[in-house]
Amino acid sequence: MRAGFAAGADRRVVVSGVGAVSGLGWGIEPLWQGLASGRSAIRPFQRFDHSAHRTHLAAEVPAPPFELERRFPGRQQTLAGRFALAAVDEALAEAGLCVPRDVAEAAVFFSSSTGGMWESEAFLADVLAGRRQRLHAMAAQQLNCPGDAIARHLGASGAVQTISSACASGALALGAALRAVRSGAAELAIAGGSDSLCQLTYAGFNALRAVDEAPCRPFRAGRAGMSIGEGAAALVLEPLERALARGAVPLAELAGAGASCDAHHMTAPEPSGAGAATAIEAALSDAGVPPEAIDFINSHGTGTPLNDLAEWRALERVFGERARRIPLTATKAALGHLLGCSGAIEALVTVLCLQRGELHPVPGPDDGDAAGAALDSEVPVALVVGRPLALPEARAALSASLAFGGSNAALVFLRWEAAGA
Amino acid sequence: MSREVLVTGFGTVGAYGYACESLAAALELAAPVGAREVDRSAGRHRARGARRALLAPLSGLTAWLPPLEARRMSLPSRFSVAAARMAWCRAGLPGCRPAAGREGLPPAAPVRDARADPRHPAEQTAEETAVVMATAFGPCSFAEALLRQILGEGPESASPYLFTESVANAAAAQIAIACRARGPSITICQREAGALQAVGCGAAEVASGRVVRALVGTVDELPPLHHALLDRFGALARPRAEPSGAAGPPGGEEAARPFDRRRNGILAAEGATVLVLEEAEAARRRGARPLCRVLAWGSAFDPSAPPAGWGRGHAVLSRALLGMLARAGLLDWEGAPAARIDRIVSGASGSRSGDRLEAHTLRTAWNDRPLPPVLAPKGAVGEYGGGFLGAAVLAAAGAPFGPTCGFAEPDPELGVVPHDGSALAPPAAVLVSSLAAGGAASWLVLGAAG
Repeated sequence: MRAGFAAGADRRVVVSGVGAVSGLGWGIEPLWQGLASGRSAIRPFQRFDHSAHRTHLAAEVPAPPFELERRFPGRQQTLAGRFALAAVDEALAEAGLCVPRDVAEAAVFFSSSTGGMWESEAFLADVLAGRRQRLHAMAAQQLNCPGDAIARHLGASGAVQTISSACASGALALGAALRAVRSGAAELAIAGGSDSLCQLTYAGFNALRAVDEAPCRPFRAGRAGMSIGEGAAALVLEPLERALARGAVPLAELAGAGASCDAHHMTAPEPSGAGAATAIEAALSDAGVPPEAIDFINSHGTGTPLNDLAEWRALERVFGERARRIPLTATKAALGHLLGCSGAIEALVTVLCLQRGELHPVPGPDDGDAAGAALDSEVPVALVVGRPLALPEARAALSASLAFGGSNAALVFLRWEAAGA
Repeated sequence: MSREVLVTGFGTVGAYGYACESLAAALELAAPVGAREVDRSAGRHRARGARRALLAPLSGLTAWLPPLEARRMSLPSRFSVAAARMAWCRAGLPGCRPAAGREGLPPAAPVRDARADPRHPAEQTAEETAVVMATAFGPCSFAEALLRQILGEGPESASPYLFTESVANAAAAQIAIACRARGPSITICQREAGALQAVGCGAAEVASGRVVRALVGTVDELPPLHHALLDRFGALARPRAEPSGAAGPPGGEEAARPFDRRRNGILAAEGATVLVLEEAEAARRRGARPLCRVLAWGSAFDPSAPPAGWGRGHAVLSRALLGMLARAGLLDWEGAPAARIDRIVSGASGSRSGDRLEAHTLRTAWNDRPLPPVLAPKGAVGEYGGGFLGAAVLAAAGAPFGPTCGFAEPDPELGVVPHDGSALAPPAAVLVSSLAAGGAASWLVLGAAG
């Protein structure tokens, strides 16, 4: 149980199911196996012709298994919508919840930064070429479509809220779900995010020269930018009492959320890290967890020189000298940057790490000799490299997200320990 | 909620102009002030489709946003920053001054004397201020322009400037930069329900004590391609076909008709509305003059709705509405909405299925008892862009409303006859309702400032 930490709020909120789609595959197990083995999904991709783009790598989701292809046919859903529905079905199955019986009043807090942009691009290409356009493709292109599709799929009548605050969206959606469940506004919430690869973001980040030509190298000396990914993450949140009463085994407790804004620049982070530190401190305070109790960090870790530096400075502000010693991972090195979904899938990975008692390594050379692989003395984080770090005693973890437009969000998770265990 | 939340500032930008007074005048006049022809020259519209929209003039922008600052922004960012500055000034908060030559409302409250604090006036409130903005479609003209570059000229021609401002949260970020707001920055995209969700989200931040104030609102732009898409989906009001099959008089018959038997679509609009929500004690300490109070908020979803339309889930939605009122103590002993709710600001827009769902949801919630006066301002201010949110605040502040723009013939299927323009007593509590295409629904209850 949560002994030793001050109560942060009214009702305790637990994660009782998770589901994911990522460049490592469809489902949680391919995701965890890939992460634990230090594998990266960032590679040449097929979604669109990228020969004229500056870079040529992305973490593309592989083709779906046959039964999923049949269950969520592409003609009826956007790609982001299909990812979302697959992740939600997996999360509900793990939570032991039946559709529609157990989810009729569920709320949905979902994030997306591009929604059905991939489908919109096909539509606009038809417009520009003077071809006949498929209007129905545009009906599902809006940012709210993945979240709406989930509620429609489940027959759920609770609140549906889509958050689109760039790379902090996923964490903000989880924060909104936490507050809804904690306050009693919702008894069950599906939270997460979904985004698919598209030319707009690929070309846009390349135009900003924010994409590394090699797989991204968060916190390494040679880091030169991010890698783009796609996928979805879904987490089932409910009050602790409700989960226990129905015999569910919580995977972790979502104990706190915090957010802030740099109010500094549209793309560059505030260099002192003050804004990000505010969000982290707010999350810790919300959770009633002191900084010294944090056992590991799942960083935002994009691999851009400025972002990693600002994040390090934020960690140093919050954790002081200890920031150099707290084990830290960067999931984006394995999955790429899932944009509006990144905060959600990194929160999900944080839950898996707590649950399984080990922190996944950051893919990439671990000897520091390969070009660009050396750790950066300017950002002296305790990066986990080479192999998973066993943390069987880890109880509290932080997941941080820093976004375009200066939006910052942080989440604090606690390991679930059954009473008497 | 634990802390009382007041609306202390209000700024709006729309076809009606760049001031709260111009919106109030349009509502009292009950006319779509500023409606004009949309550029249809690209041939994307239907031949007999919609021609008009409520497009915001750019001429009033420089009063609130210097050209040098505006050139870094998309149109939604410009609208939003202008509206945020109006709201900030109206609230009598320090700093965040607009460019010289400001027009519109003078500050409603004296600006706090900041001499005792050496920081920039806005810095004194920075970490206490959240920003929550809604947008239905985001900066779609920039996304369109960027895609034209990528698809037409090649990806290396993509403009970083266009990309930076093509993200949905650009407006919220620009408000935060302009007002130095360092609290949470959140952007909600939930079609027509987003604006009220943004107010609810901001109110929750203030009520919980996480921030002292929040800038909340909604913004949308309406470029020609977007107008054409709405037209081709059949969402827009169009010249009515006469019984002979001929089109009606050009332009004259093209109007949004909320709750009317002849309604055939919405009048699309662009613009922004931003409110300052403030913790009551903090507002009183600095002598703010509130416009109204935020009493309750809630959301639900109608799973019977198709992705781009409205469903028939009025039973589900009315149950959720009553649940929200119950949590706020706004039900009477029979479980119906309390008589204290003496006005409804309805999101009825002239959509056939949307207005039907709205009418049936309200009537079910009121258990077929007479509804309080129903204001349906979207006939005058259009759909999207923030005029509706502004109208809700004006209604709660007791502003006079003219007859319902576009309404003439009651629809027996709906059973709702909206406001006829007669004088109304100052309201005690106003229910604001907005049901979105796709299934989302959101409500607010605003109370008199007291």
